[in-house]
Amino acid sequence: MRALYTAATGMAAQELNVQVISNNIANMRTTGYKKQRAAFQDLIYDHVRRVGAQASDQGTVIPVGVDIGGGVKTVGTPRSMTQGTLSTTGNDLDVAIRGEGFFKIQMPDGTFTYTRDGTFSMDNQGRIVNAQGNLVQPTITVPTASSQLTVNGAGQVSVIVPGSTTPTVLGSIGLTRFINKAGLSPIGDNLFVETPASGTPQDGTANLDGFGDMQQRNLEQANVEVVTEISDLIAAQRAYEMNAKVISAADQMLQSTSGMFR
Amino acid sequence: MENMGLVGLSRQMTLRRQMDVVANNIANVNTTGFKAEKMLFQEYLSPTAHEDNFIGRDRRVSFVQDRATMHDFAGGPVEPTKNPLDVAIDGNAFLAVQTAGGERYTRDGSLQINNQGQLVTASGLPVLGTNGPIVFQQTDHDINISQDGTVTVLEGTNRIDSIRGKIRMVQFASPQQLMKDGSNLYSAAPGVTAQPSLSAKLNQGFIERSNVSSVTEMTRMIEVTRAYTELSNMLQSQGDARRTAIEKLADVPA
Repeated sequence: MRALYTAATGMAAQELNVQVISNNIANMRTTGYKKQRAAFQDLIYDHVRRVGAQASDQGTVIPVGVDIGGGVKTVGTPRSMTQGTLSTTGNDLDVAIRGEGFFKIQMPDGTFTYTRDGTFSMDNQGRIVNAQGNLVQPTITVPTASSQLTVNGAGQVSVIVPGSTTPTVLGSIGLTRFINKAGLSPIGDNLFVETPASGTPQDGTANLDGFGDMQQRNLEQANVEVVTEISDLIAAQRAYEMNAKVISAADQMLQSTSGMFR
Repeated sequence: MENMGLVGLSRQMTLRRQMDVVANNIANVNTTGFKAEKMLFQEYLSPTAHEDNFIGRDRRVSFVQDRATMHDFAGGPVEPTKNPLDVAIDGNAFLAVQTAGGERYTRDGSLQINNQGQLVTASGLPVLGTNGPIVFQQTDHDINISQDGTVTVLEGTNRIDSIRGKIRMVQFASPQQLMKDGSNLYSAAPGVTAQPSLSAKLNQGFIERSNVSSVTEMTRMIEVTRAYTELSNMLQSQGDARRTAIEKLADVPA
C-alpha cells in the first residue's frame, strides 16, 4: 500500500521539523542567531487519469484527473535573516549591527568567516578578536594603557592614548554583505561561511551604501520568537502523530485483507 | 453470485487509492501552500446482456470507479513570519515560476534570493514578474512587496524607493484543470491559459500554510478503514457461503 510509505515520508518530515524548531528554541538566547524554518514540498504525483487528456474524438477533454501523491519532502531549512532586537550590555567591545552586513572574522587557517555576533574582546597583543579569539577584520590593535574606547556608527574605533586629550582613530571595523545572505552556510560558533548560493562577499563600511550602522555596548539578540516556535512545535508533534495513525490505519486495511483467506 | 466479489473488489481498490490520497494530504499537513485532494467516485454500470422488458426487470450490476481527485483550492491559514521575502496570496491566484520544462504555477510564497540576486522559490526556480525574473542589486536593502506585487527596495544610501519589478499573479478560468507536478508546482494542461489576476493581493511577511483540515482527514481515514474492513468481512462471508454450498451440494450420501 502506497499510504504506508506516504505516511512514512510525513513522519520523517515532521521529525526534521521538530529538530529545526528545537534548535531554534535552544538558541533563543544565542547572540546573533538567526532562526531557521523547515520548508516542505509535495512529492511527485502518479497521474492515474491525466487531466486535459482527450475524452473523445470530438475534442472534449477530461475536466478533472486522478492524481495520487507520494508524500512530502524537505526542500530546505531557509534561515530568516531578519533583525534581532538589541540589548544593552555596557561592555565597550560589544558591537551590534543595526541593518545589513556581517562582521568579517579571520580564522587561524587564513580563511574568512562571517558573523552577526559582535561579542568582541582584546587578545594579549591588544588586537580586537571575537569570542573564539579570531581576528576581527580589518585587524585593529589597541595600544596599551589607552582608555575610553569608542566604536561609532560607521565602525570607527577610537581611543584616548595616555598624554593626549583628543581621541586617536585606530581604524574601522568592516562589514561584509552577500546578495543572498540566507545562502550562507553555518559552521557553528555563530559563524557563517560563503557558499556558491550566497554569492561573493562585498566588503564595505558601516553606514554607507545601504550597510547597517554599528551600535556600541549593544548585542543583537536571536530573532527567535518563542510563541511562534512553541505553536509550531505543537503543530509538528500533532502532524507526526497523525502520520503514525495513517500507518496503523493502512496496516489495519492490510490485516483485514489477509484475514479474508482462511 | 460471482459479481458480488467483483463489486466488492472494485470498491476495495478505490478505497485503497482513497487511503493513498488521505495519506498524502496528512503527510503534507505542514507543506506551505499545499492544497488538499478530494476523491470523487462514480458508478459504473456493467454493460452485460440484460432485458428491461420483463415486469421485474433484470437488475444491472454497478461497480465503483474513482474518476477524479479534486483540488480543494480553499485558502489555507496564513501565518506571520515577519520575513520580508515571504508572501501569502490573498485570492484565487498563483505565482508564475520559470522551470526548464516551461512555466509552472505555485501557491508557495516562501521566496528566496539566489546568488545572482534573482527572486526564486524555495527550490531555486525564478519567480516571474510581469517583465521576466525579478533581479536585485548588491546594494539593495529593505525589500518591500506591495499588495499588487510591486517589489521596491532602497538602493544604497538612496532614500527613495527603486522598483525592481512586479510579481506576476495569474488565475485560471477552471483551476481544476491544473495538474499537480510535485514540489508545490502546478502545470497547466494544453489549451489552458493563465490570465493575469487583477483581484488577488499579496501579503508580505506571511506564508500560507497547508489547507489540509486534519480533523476531516482523520475522519475520512477512519471511514475508509471501516468501509474496507466491512467489505473484507462481507467478501469473507460470501466465500464462506460458497464453501458451504459446495460442501453441502457435493455431499453424496454413501
